[in-house]
Amino acid sequence: MTVGNQVLTASPGETQRTPSRRRFEYKRLGELGALVALILVFTLLNPGAFLTMLNVRTILDQAAIPLVVGVGATLVVLMGSIDLSVEGVMGAAGMTFVLLSANSRDTMDLGLWAIVIAVGLGAFLGLCSGLIHTLLKVPSFIVTLGMWFVGLGLATVLFGTDQIPFLPDGDLKAWPNTLTLGLPNSAWLAAVVVLLGVVVTRFTRLGRFTYAVGNNEEVARSNGIPVGRQKILIFVVAGGCSALAGVLASLRLGAGSATVGIGILFLTIAAVVIGGTSLGGGKGGMMRTTLGVILLTVLNNGLILSGVSSNIQSGVSGAVLIVAILAAAWPLRSRLRIVK
Amino acid sequence: MTKALREDTPVPADVPALKLTNISKSFGPVTAVDNVSLEIPRNQVIGLIGENGAGKSTLLKILTGLHEPDSGVMEVAGSPVRFRRPQDAAAAGFGVVHQEQSLLTNLSVAENIAMNALSSKDNATKGGWYRWGQLNREAETILAKVGAKIDPRSIVGDISFVDRQMVEIARALRVDELTNATPIVILDEPTSVLERDETAILEREIKLLKNIGSVVFVPHRLDEVLRICDRIIVMRHGKVVADRPTGDVTEDELFQLMIGHAARASKSHAAERDGAVEPLMQVSGLTRKGEYKNVDLTVRPGHCVAIVGTLGSGRESLVRAMFGAEPFDSGSLSYRGKQLGSWSAAQATRSGIAYVPAERKTEGMVGGMTAAENLVLARTGKSGLLVNKRKQKKLAQEWFGKLDTRPNNPSLHLSRFSGGNQQKVVMAKWLQSETLQLMILDHPLRGLDPGAAETVNDQIRAARDGGTAVILLADTLEEALDMGDDILVMRDGEVTARFDLSVDTPTSLDLLEKMV
Repeated sequence: MTVGNQVLTASPGETQRTPSRRRFEYKRLGELGALVALILVFTLLNPGAFLTMLNVRTILDQAAIPLVVGVGATLVVLMGSIDLSVEGVMGAAGMTFVLLSANSRDTMDLGLWAIVIAVGLGAFLGLCSGLIHTLLKVPSFIVTLGMWFVGLGLATVLFGTDQIPFLPDGDLKAWPNTLTLGLPNSAWLAAVVVLLGVVVTRFTRLGRFTYAVGNNEEVARSNGIPVGRQKILIFVVAGGCSALAGVLASLRLGAGSATVGIGILFLTIAAVVIGGTSLGGGKGGMMRTTLGVILLTVLNNGLILSGVSSNIQSGVSGAVLIVAILAAAWPLRSRLRIVK
Repeated sequence: MTKALREDTPVPADVPALKLTNISKSFGPVTAVDNVSLEIPRNQVIGLIGENGAGKSTLLKILTGLHEPDSGVMEVAGSPVRFRRPQDAAAAGFGVVHQEQSLLTNLSVAENIAMNALSSKDNATKGGWYRWGQLNREAETILAKVGAKIDPRSIVGDISFVDRQMVEIARALRVDELTNATPIVILDEPTSVLERDETAILEREIKLLKNIGSVVFVPHRLDEVLRICDRIIVMRHGKVVADRPTGDVTEDELFQLMIGHAARASKSHAAERDGAVEPLMQVSGLTRKGEYKNVDLTVRPGHCVAIVGTLGSGRESLVRAMFGAEPFDSGSLSYRGKQLGSWSAAQATRSGIAYVPAERKTEGMVGGMTAAENLVLARTGKSGLLVNKRKQKKLAQEWFGKLDTRPNNPSLHLSRFSGGNQQKVVMAKWLQSETLQLMILDHPLRGLDPGAAETVNDQIRAARDGGTAVILLADTLEEALDMGDDILVMRDGEVTARFDLSVDTPTSLDLLEKMV
């Protein structure tokens, strides 16, 4: 989508390019329109509560974790694969981080190195997924489903049977919610990660090859793209993203917990799809996922503010996902003869 | 060596750009390329021709690093090479335009043009970073070389097929900018989707290419090869059967060389079979954009219609539409006198139409089920909720005997059988149906040894004589002449000739002339 976003310059081929650009912009407008409509509805339903600085900060803070995970998930989905290991990796990395930082259970304190090691662990789990997926030719769906529970197992073992490891009150624990330039640090972190994701997908070989692999693996291979290595690298990046999200989630919780990532998998995959990244691979991008995450976060937040019970909320989220997929696939329905 | 050598090319001028010695490549029992030796001189355009399945495509894949030969030696500019990957071939100076489009449709034109370079060294993407401005400028230069007015920033999926072909060609030309080696550009039917004036641009471009390297050109039409090439190499059954300077051959001679012999007289057909019977299926004005246009076709019970044509003739797509497995854009289908509104493969099967696809392994069978289970897989009219195991076994045994299927054990998984025997089971699946009206056979003999082919042909004849209509996409022209009652010749999606074999007696040559 990089190309579509570049500034129009006068060139001989401009006329033939216009239709494709227009279609692209039009599609993007649909999702932006949905977001604006949601904001309007919730503002009307909750005057004085929804569109306040406090609530905007809450929404951005809540969006931070799915955004960080979403960057990795988008890359994986762009390749036509899927990463279900998100919650397991978050648990394992989060627990590692808590135990290696100053905490109520042990005397270990590696400071910021704890974050580096936790993210490294996530990248390693991603590496394992990638290697098994490419070398042993196991579908990514199954590999990462397994890795999800490997991660959860790892976190549970680390958790052990001792008392819960709490993070001490202090700067570190308060960091995500501390405001910088009016916005919470967690939101800034997410913004940086998303920005990195945008740069990778638009300006690097790693990102462009991701699109190529997602479009057609066979053709990509015959074009000289090292498809296996590409896939492994992306799974490593995705593992790292999940791990960073695990650290962030642990900071917010203030304690170690194996299930620190609960609910994040559905939220991110849904956001990726609602944003318009095709599960078949090759189409989509970071800004789309960002839009999807914000859309879902606003929806959840608005429903809570409007007093909708949490039982109904999850049903609404699921329905929104299905409607979004239907809308995205509608023009293609006659061509999709095989749906698996 | 009389001439002084240029310093940057320490290779004598009479050393060919490419030399193959005794190259062979087999796929299972099929030898696709059989002991081929040939030379491609520098600064010449070489035409490579042959019937479908003559081994051209496999040879090209060997040259471009997609297949490794089983044996033989390849030499580029006098030194032996081995291509394990397409990159190796690219590094040795081979650029290729494949018959199938090899562009990534979600990326921009510029990225596709640079693609081979992206994975190696290129200034515009050094260190893994894209310098879009430079990438686009480089692409613009190359596109200008082929005379194409395409914005390098446009997404390939959004541009026309003609433009995509120009991009493919531009990409093949890129090779000379990347390597120091003398480029060898391989063009596999590059004009098949081009209009006349664009073909002219391409022909001009190929002549320019000769100044900087060598060209291997597989023509879409035979007249092209005579216009463009300096020499023509003819392949048949995996072997090189002729290598002639263009001035020394005529189009007729090339036909003869391609098919191997003057066409033999076609066997007499059951002309007395009642020609007045009601048509079973009628196709009129059927069109699918980019595949076939305005096709009329009538299929009668007890008759076999053979459709011949090269790759890209649209015949595969046409019969798939008749079976309801692919949509079409306009025109109409009628079956047993009734106009068909919506039409699907499931409806076709229920109405007694059988389809044996060319891709046996992926479309025609379920390898993980036993042969007996495969036999009863298609639901043809009679529907029962439960599978009667005993009946199934009896049926399987009966058909295994009829078709001489080996090993004679229907409870083996179908994937364990050889290709020929798999095909027999796939055929039996349809033949056993009592409601069978029409069989659509897409290359039913592909990969079969002569014995198995004869058994399958006998079954097709028996079904036809029993009143079943047959549509046959034959592997060879001989097969079409042997099995068909009517022959339909297609080229580029259009019907170019019809022969009623009870009246006409066309030779392979006649058919070939209408095909290419």
